[in-house]
Amino acid sequence: MIVGLAIATPAAASPPQLVVVLNSDEGSLSIVDRQTLKEVDKRSIGREPHHLMLTPDGKDLVIGSTATNELTFLDPVTGETRRRVRNILDPYQLGFSPDGKWFVTAAYRMNHVDIYEAKEFTLVKRLPLHTLPSHMAFTRDNAQVLITMQGSNQLVAIDLATQEVAWTADVGEAPAGLYALPDGKRVLVGLTGEDAVAVVDLAQKRVVKWVVTGKGAHNIFRMPNDETRVLVTNRLDGTISLFDTTKLEVIDTIRAPGGPDDLDFTPDGKQIWVTQRWRRKVMAIDLATKQIVATVNVGRSPHGIYINGPHTVSRSVAPPPEPTEDKTAQTPKASLPDILPKVLAPLFR
Amino acid sequence: MQGLVDIWVDVQSWILETVVHPLLFRFGYMTFFEDAPFVVETLMLGVVQIAVILLVFRPLEQLAPAEQWPDRKLARVDIVYTLLSKLGVLPFVVFIVLYPVNDWLQDLVRDHDLVLPTVEQSLPWLRDKPLLLFATYFLLYDFAGYWLHRMQHAFPWWWALHSLHHSQRQVTCWSDDRNHLLDDLLASVYFAVVALLIGVQPGQYVVLLLLSRLIESLSHANVRFGFGRVVDKVVVDPWFHRTHHARANAAEPHIHDSNFGAVLPIWDLLFGTAVYDYKRRPTGVDTPDADADNGKGWLGQQIAVAGRLARAILATFRPRRLAHPAE
Repeated sequence: MIVGLAIATPAAASPPQLVVVLNSDEGSLSIVDRQTLKEVDKRSIGREPHHLMLTPDGKDLVIGSTATNELTFLDPVTGETRRRVRNILDPYQLGFSPDGKWFVTAAYRMNHVDIYEAKEFTLVKRLPLHTLPSHMAFTRDNAQVLITMQGSNQLVAIDLATQEVAWTADVGEAPAGLYALPDGKRVLVGLTGEDAVAVVDLAQKRVVKWVVTGKGAHNIFRMPNDETRVLVTNRLDGTISLFDTTKLEVIDTIRAPGGPDDLDFTPDGKQIWVTQRWRRKVMAIDLATKQIVATVNVGRSPHGIYINGPHTVSRSVAPPPEPTEDKTAQTPKASLPDILPKVLAPLFR
Repeated sequence: MQGLVDIWVDVQSWILETVVHPLLFRFGYMTFFEDAPFVVETLMLGVVQIAVILLVFRPLEQLAPAEQWPDRKLARVDIVYTLLSKLGVLPFVVFIVLYPVNDWLQDLVRDHDLVLPTVEQSLPWLRDKPLLLFATYFLLYDFAGYWLHRMQHAFPWWWALHSLHHSQRQVTCWSDDRNHLLDDLLASVYFAVVALLIGVQPGQYVVLLLLSRLIESLSHANVRFGFGRVVDKVVVDPWFHRTHHARANAAEPHIHDSNFGAVLPIWDLLFGTAVYDYKRRPTGVDTPDADADNGKGWLGQQIAVAGRLARAILATFRPRRLAHPAE
């Protein structure tokens, strides 16, 4: 369907304006046409897909299917599936280090963080971390990856050179989204179990300030071309806070009902599209008027969202990589017959 | 159809936003925030199931009963089981106990770098066929359920627990949930392992749960009709399952060790445990201690069955008496 849409578009015209939405509870992705405001395609993507992101070169959109233990690579313009990488255990949250060297996954369900060599997705280190490693951000100097522990209320810093935990700090109830501030010295942490964002000083390794945003403060997104402002989704309050990162204060609040979680910006930066987790919808909000301008039905528990745009078209001029089917990551693993008796035996003793 | 889905989602959102989320936030349980929509939907499905039992299955029992009873006194306790189960009280207790077990299983898989094969990876052509994929999961879960049921009958200690389900002399559409708490717990651990091995989408699980539980409630209903001699080979019907609940006797001491399938009788047909003789038999058990469950309330049954389990476990350690040569 989507391939058809892309092909049918005249060469000189704009590419299809598509929104990719991951329906985490039904293992599918929805493709929404931003012009017609309709879901134009829905297809299986692997069980429990939660997050997605562009590869550092912008050529691929990577989706982590947590219960299928695999990554799916899509064409970011058309939404076409290109290849899959298997044996990535529970890839809930994904991140490429800014230098492109490391690919890091946070396994929320299985309580660990994996560090892969980013080119071949070879597992370098698996760090068990209790409990519920959730979101991540890289420090501006590329030295550390920061992980929020939604179950144990901590922020964990992992040294990328040694691949060991460098330090841990208590930050507040159910920490989730992270944003490394431009000064390179502090990081914002969304506290879903509170009504605030914590400011953590990386040198002092502790919370130095709390800023109230709204109940269920969750994820943090930088405004396009503006490092001084971020948006914070407040999932319980059903609002989105516009937050000034220089003054560390909320400067505006937008109504966004239905458990706003992830969001993405339209290429012109005028709208945000937000997933409404328990309403099975995505909504478009005009940032100038702060009004919901569209709501589109998608699948169950929509989570990750991505909007294609002209920037991706210019990157897609290069020929897409050759499809590689079911490429298996270089993960050391035991065979099922070896391990099954060990798993089951204690239950039947 | 979309209109119905919208109403369903609106009700779910209202419950979440006005009741569940404020409670989770107030008492510091936001760790379970992501699970809340699934829990609320499962409870909503429980209400739907109870409504179907009341509005459809009960009138059918009145209209065409398989067994005539002077009253339904013995069946009443099963309503308590159904309400406790379908309105989430028992599943909540099971969840609390199971939570660390599930963690332990997940850790075990991780610590052994075990990446389990999934259905989609084993059968890649199913990826783009969601209905077929769902049907495959349904088959696998029903198959797992069949073998769980076989084990409940095969191990004496497990039968001590499961005999509570069979001791009912008045099997009705309320009887499906009549299980001992420990039996429910063991079944949940078993299905947690199955979920780890094959998994299922939460969204699909909701449909799977509703479909299978409704069929199971109907299959327990005290009605004298089935689905016909063709369809009853495809889906378990009340005739088929009533044979499974038949009271054993000297002529048929293992009649209850048949027709184990919960939704699909194919497993009984494949493994030689299917009985399609369409005979009407009284339901219950032939052992006096289990039969004594009848007349007890919920708590009385739970305590009595715990004692039965203890005796069954002790019996496994008791040395067998050797036969005297003169005997």
